[in-house]
Amino acid sequence: MKGKCYIQGMAAITPQHTFDGDLMAQPMVVTHGNMLSCAEPDYKSFIAPNSLRRMTRVLKMGLTASLKCLQDSGIAVPGAIVTGTGKGSLQDTERFIKEIRDYQEKALNPTPFIQSTYNAVNGLIALQQKCTQYNNTFVHRGFSFEHALLDSMLLLHEGTADVLTGAFDEITPEHFFIKGRIGHWKKETISNDKLYEHPSPGTISGEGAVFFALTPAVTAQSYAQIGGLQMLYKPSPEKLHAALPEFLQQHGLQAADIDLVLTGENADTNHAHYYEILKGYPQLPFKHLSGDYETVGAFAMWLAAQILKHQQLPSQWFPMLQQQPAKLRNILIYNHFFGEQHTFMLLHAV
Amino acid sequence: MAERVFITGLGMITAIGDNVADNLRSLRAQESGLGFTRQLDTIYKEVLPVAEVKHTTAELLAMAGMTGREGFTRTTLLGLIAMQEALKHAGISDVQDEVTGFINASTVGGMCDTENVYFDIADPEKSGDFLNYIDTLDCADCTQRIADTIGFDGPVTTISTACSSSANALMYGARLIKAGFVRRVVCGGTEALTRFTLNGFNSLKNVDKRPCSPFDQDRNGLNLGEGAAYLVLESESLVKERNAAVLATLDGYANTNEAFHPTAPSPEGDGAYAAMKTAMEMGGCTPSDIQYVNVHGTATLSNDVAEGMALQRLFGENVPKFSSTKPFTGHTLAAAGGIEAIYAVLAISHQTIFPNLHFKDKMEELYITPETQLLEQYPVRHVLSNSFGFGGNNASLLISKYEG
Repeated sequence: MKGKCYIQGMAAITPQHTFDGDLMAQPMVVTHGNMLSCAEPDYKSFIAPNSLRRMTRVLKMGLTASLKCLQDSGIAVPGAIVTGTGKGSLQDTERFIKEIRDYQEKALNPTPFIQSTYNAVNGLIALQQKCTQYNNTFVHRGFSFEHALLDSMLLLHEGTADVLTGAFDEITPEHFFIKGRIGHWKKETISNDKLYEHPSPGTISGEGAVFFALTPAVTAQSYAQIGGLQMLYKPSPEKLHAALPEFLQQHGLQAADIDLVLTGENADTNHAHYYEILKGYPQLPFKHLSGDYETVGAFAMWLAAQILKHQQLPSQWFPMLQQQPAKLRNILIYNHFFGEQHTFMLLHAV
Repeated sequence: MAERVFITGLGMITAIGDNVADNLRSLRAQESGLGFTRQLDTIYKEVLPVAEVKHTTAELLAMAGMTGREGFTRTTLLGLIAMQEALKHAGISDVQDEVTGFINASTVGGMCDTENVYFDIADPEKSGDFLNYIDTLDCADCTQRIADTIGFDGPVTTISTACSSSANALMYGARLIKAGFVRRVVCGGTEALTRFTLNGFNSLKNVDKRPCSPFDQDRNGLNLGEGAAYLVLESESLVKERNAAVLATLDGYANTNEAFHPTAPSPEGDGAYAAMKTAMEMGGCTPSDIQYVNVHGTATLSNDVAEGMALQRLFGENVPKFSSTKPFTGHTLAAAGGIEAIYAVLAISHQTIFPNLHFKDKMEELYITPETQLLEQYPVRHVLSNSFGFGGNNASLLISKYEG
């Protein structure tokens, strides 16, 4: 696939203070407990009060992050809206399941059903911005955001002027419990700043809504260039090992050209071995900031783009950092979701 | 120059047949699949008609060759049965002889099974076999189980844009081929009836207690259905290399948004008009080139007005034959785009137009009426297939006869 892809604007609502203010000055938010929740902004400046009342949490987070991203990019009406979500609006899904039971299928309020639809956030953004072009939503665990990104890159390649690309996921106490039953989370209760001191089965959960405005040409405002993307579904160890050097080579790079790898390392001993492919690379983990969830790759990409734009790391978020990297040209992201969906993303400074 | 995208294999299961041949036979015999549910535990069991696949989940497990396997939901099994047929039809015995992608579509994943055990799953006091179903709640579960059973080694993902999901899956697959990402991809969707969606649409007052009657003045909503459908898409070069038979071409497609209302189309059908027009033009067609439109035609009050207005705007006084096949299959949500894309291919390969059942009176808002007769030996070269969904999502596909 030919053609280039630049991040022209972005916005993030995450468990850290990422929505506004000077990133380099924001202290790390520390949560005691294995479920990180977003630091939610004041939605009133983005969404009218009558709409706000009806909307559940992830809809507010998704819509607000998308609108802030468009503001940041200076693009009012994007040429396409493409998102990824692992779970959509969990609150609405849970509520509708319960109301079906509690009201014995009678006189149900349709709002939770409508809002549980995975493309509800996309529809809201299109409606608010009067965007009548391409609109798509991927719902596939650890590939949800990454396929939204691939779709967006295809659109730019096909001639779309700009694309709004994002991801959103929430966690609820009920869903946290449910996923705990299949071993997603650590048994011991920890706080996120101590995540890597607790290698054991499972990790900590998180959530976030992150959006990007992508364009095919660089501008003075561009944060970074997205140079490459690769997804590997349940790869064998041999295939995964071979894939990383091949991926770099495809983009004209060698291991030594990578200034930093942001790794999805999450202290989950069930799936930690995959990260051995990064041996020898300068690397930092990021899930102590976000927790783990299906579309955490979008947060990693936001973080990489911030680092490339600022040409420094927010050191207060990375206590394990010995010293700032000598140069920050190429950042690689490697993440996987519970060992199934593996992704490489490559970002370059502009 | 981007490669053309050809359709080389079809597989499906719906309320009117367990495979493509049975579907075609029922369409020709004008036998609707609508009736009352035998699988679903709901107070609407004998109130709201649905188009249900006529097999228990255990029977589907056997049909898919998965007897004894755990955690396979009805959604997954319907998909697997359709997938096995599609690959066989395309003459693919080893899916790994060429890197092959799988782009699936689903609206509620394995909800059909999860909803029956959800409160046990969420109850710390309870434990048992139902824990096998925890991971089936999301849309990716059915996709991955099908991918793992078949052995797909290309891109694997799931699209969920409500009722247009599988039309968007076909579009994404075609674009992956055109961009040179893969040369072969199987696209479509799978959907099982659930209490969740039945109550959802019923709470919107969108479900008719009678068999649905699209484009009829007296229509009063949709009937839900279930099923799965997959189409094998291949690049022109791969088709030549392996000397595969081409069933039809996918030369045009479009996805547009209404930006009007979360669940209702604009009264003038702006999104439907733009989707059809763009798809048609992408395939190099003008309105007079289109012989048949397989409409979305859910029989809800608002869809049929909007879609009808869009047809009138696009085609003027010369609206081609059009029909909704939802009175046969029900509205199968994420599977609908795939099922109806297959019907479009059948319309071309059998030179047949399928009737719009249950139509009596012209809608007062429109001057057009759907085709109510089975038309055989009808010259069909280009078909538009429409799928419209919540969130204002409109998709239209242009499926054409392969003429070398």
